[in-house]
Amino acid sequence: MTVALASLSLIWANLSRSRLRFALTAFAIFIAFFLFGILQSFERGLNAGADLAAADRLIISNRINFTQPLPIAYVNRIAAIEGVRQVSHQSWMGSYYQEPRNFIFGFAIDPQSYLQIYADDIALPPEQAAAFIQNRRGALVGEDVAKQYGWQIGDLIPISSNIWQRADGSNVWDLVIEGIYRAGRANIAANTLYLHYDYLNEARTTARDFTGTISFTTLDPAQNDAIAQAIDSRFQNSAYATETRTEEAFNRSFVEQLGNIGLIVLSVSGAAMFTILIITGNTMALSIRERTGEIGVMKVLGFDARMVFALILAESLALALIGGLLGVAAAQMMARFISTVPGFPFPLGFTSGIWLSSFGLMLALGLITGLLPAFAAYRLKPTAAFARA
Amino acid sequence: MMLKQIFMMIWIGLLSLPQRLWLSLATVITIAVVVAVLLAFLSMSQGFRQTLGSSGSEDVAIILRGGSGAELNSVLSREQLALIETAPGLLKRDGASLVSGELYVVVDGIKKSSGTKANLPLRGLGPLGVAIRAPAITAGRMFIPGRNELIVGEALLREFNGFEPGSMLRFGATQWTVVGVFSTGGVFDSEIWSDLGGVQNQFNRGSSVQSVRAKLINPQAIESLRSFADQDPRLTVDIISERRYYAEQSERTSDLILVLGWPLSIAMSLGALAGALNTIYLSVSARSRDIATVRAIGFSGFSAFCGTLAESLFLSAVGGLLGALVALVFFDGLSASTLGGNFTQVVFNFSLSSDLFIQGLWLALLIGLIGGFFPAIRAARLPVAQAFGSR
Repeated sequence: MTVALASLSLIWANLSRSRLRFALTAFAIFIAFFLFGILQSFERGLNAGADLAAADRLIISNRINFTQPLPIAYVNRIAAIEGVRQVSHQSWMGSYYQEPRNFIFGFAIDPQSYLQIYADDIALPPEQAAAFIQNRRGALVGEDVAKQYGWQIGDLIPISSNIWQRADGSNVWDLVIEGIYRAGRANIAANTLYLHYDYLNEARTTARDFTGTISFTTLDPAQNDAIAQAIDSRFQNSAYATETRTEEAFNRSFVEQLGNIGLIVLSVSGAAMFTILIITGNTMALSIRERTGEIGVMKVLGFDARMVFALILAESLALALIGGLLGVAAAQMMARFISTVPGFPFPLGFTSGIWLSSFGLMLALGLITGLLPAFAAYRLKPTAAFARA
Repeated sequence: MMLKQIFMMIWIGLLSLPQRLWLSLATVITIAVVVAVLLAFLSMSQGFRQTLGSSGSEDVAIILRGGSGAELNSVLSREQLALIETAPGLLKRDGASLVSGELYVVVDGIKKSSGTKANLPLRGLGPLGVAIRAPAITAGRMFIPGRNELIVGEALLREFNGFEPGSMLRFGATQWTVVGVFSTGGVFDSEIWSDLGGVQNQFNRGSSVQSVRAKLINPQAIESLRSFADQDPRLTVDIISERRYYAEQSERTSDLILVLGWPLSIAMSLGALAGALNTIYLSVSARSRDIATVRAIGFSGFSAFCGTLAESLFLSAVGGLLGALVALVFFDGLSASTLGGNFTQVVFNFSLSSDLFIQGLWLALLIGLIGGFFPAIRAARLPVAQAFGSR
């Protein structure tokens, strides 16, 4: 016990012998891990749509591209295919509130079936669900959007669409808020507006009786691939050929459109890590070289070579951990702050996975930067040490 | 005398650099990394802006349905198109206004770099639309209307699979053939073109179009086109010059890249700054005897200050140059594509201009300046006697 305490205080004394150098090196490590944490959080937030997609939902889109429409009649034809449990559909609304820059994720849906299929994502009191289903002009909005614009249940809101126009030439759709939902699961945003497909479809001037994508669940998830193939081959030769994918694959294709986010995150984090590896490695090597004489003294006093080795390795590990843990903690606070900014499109979660991988990197950094100096000290002969000193 | 002292101190400092080779090298490399990362983001942003911002002409007007904001969302009828053809201020050829009704639909392509699907624009346009843009056919030939033929932009061909001349593509129930490659420069090189009638037919658009391009007699004529549309209740449209339309779209994405790139680079600079401070402080303490010695023989504190600062600036300049060269070799001209304002892929090249090169060097010198300033003060204040006393 006393040995351990003595070692700890020895490590600390060595670290803080040059306070300024210690502070600067720890700060460089802090910055690198802060960047690593925030970038990881960003990447995971972007991929959350795919990572958190329900395993049992499949999405059907037009084979040409998901922005091309599908006939609404497909909904019933797909419901009749063997193995399909529930079917619903959604049409992109291109919606905004008052100004185009107040953009809102909006979909026209079939309320009843949609709320069933997406029950795990949309948490809503039953009476609000019933009210929304009942009112053709009803709207269901996520609590994030409701908070952003100060909306309450019962409010009449004019929602503009940059796609759908009414016969009178107006692109404003008057809706009554019947429900405000919460995200049913962690790290999912409650930022979408839903309205009745029937209301949109009857009043719009173009694309009548078409929908955007069709979602469905199956009776037996093991049969998903077979059912997807059955659907795609059923419509293969029609003017509206389909492509059926899991919700995960469908959502991932959105993020992939942006470019190789993973590569960018990896490169920047890699550059930051490489930088501190050089800075820390040099600092450690230098601080050991300066202490050559002392290490010689320790050995003469009877310190075991392995003990000297361990002390130096512990020193570099402590340096990496002090800077690193503070950096990741700061990144977590930053992620939490960014998530509260109104209009930020997705929640920035901070999973234990980020902590784990950061911790692994801290250990690696400490070991890599400490091993060579520790080994040099291990092999150092006291006589040589004094000669050099 | 003063100048000579300063010059001497700078010279001594630089000559002694090899004694601290590894540490100095570490500083150079960390600064180089920071500058390279910054320039990667800046050249990405600038490349995107150059591709989209230089697209379109001042004297071509885009007419979209009011409030639609982008070609993808807009719909205009055959009747509205006919009305626009009678507007004043339009350039005429053989008695007909140079007006082109066009469709803009999204189809899937496979990105070569990642093998993933991406949105590509298929534009349906008539002979006047082609005439307005005057593309160069760089391979194969122009499409022939009514035969489901396509031509593809050079940039698109470079970044996406399956569009080589002769390739067959399937949209819905019909087969289409790529017959040629075109180039106009700018954003159109990321598009697929075919004849308007064929696209209207395949995508069930009847005789409607999505946007109208109109060639103006001069850029100012857009005002007479606007007042013409304002006076006709059948034309609830937005009219904007093609150049401005693409410039506005480019700003959103290129600004986003900058908003991400600068804070990341500044944070990394702080890390590099800590490294630089470490190095230069060490250099001061390693040379404390030398500095004290020359101070004892009459050199001023200011010359010691300058010598240390110069060392730091020298290291950061070398690092900045190295980083900028790395960026030049690896990023300049790099071809990439991302989602643009029309929800389709825009192919662009990273562009590292001399302007950005200099911005990178400034960042490096700023790190060097701050990283050298505080150690330089220490060097200037080094007590002469104490320095002799140390060992």
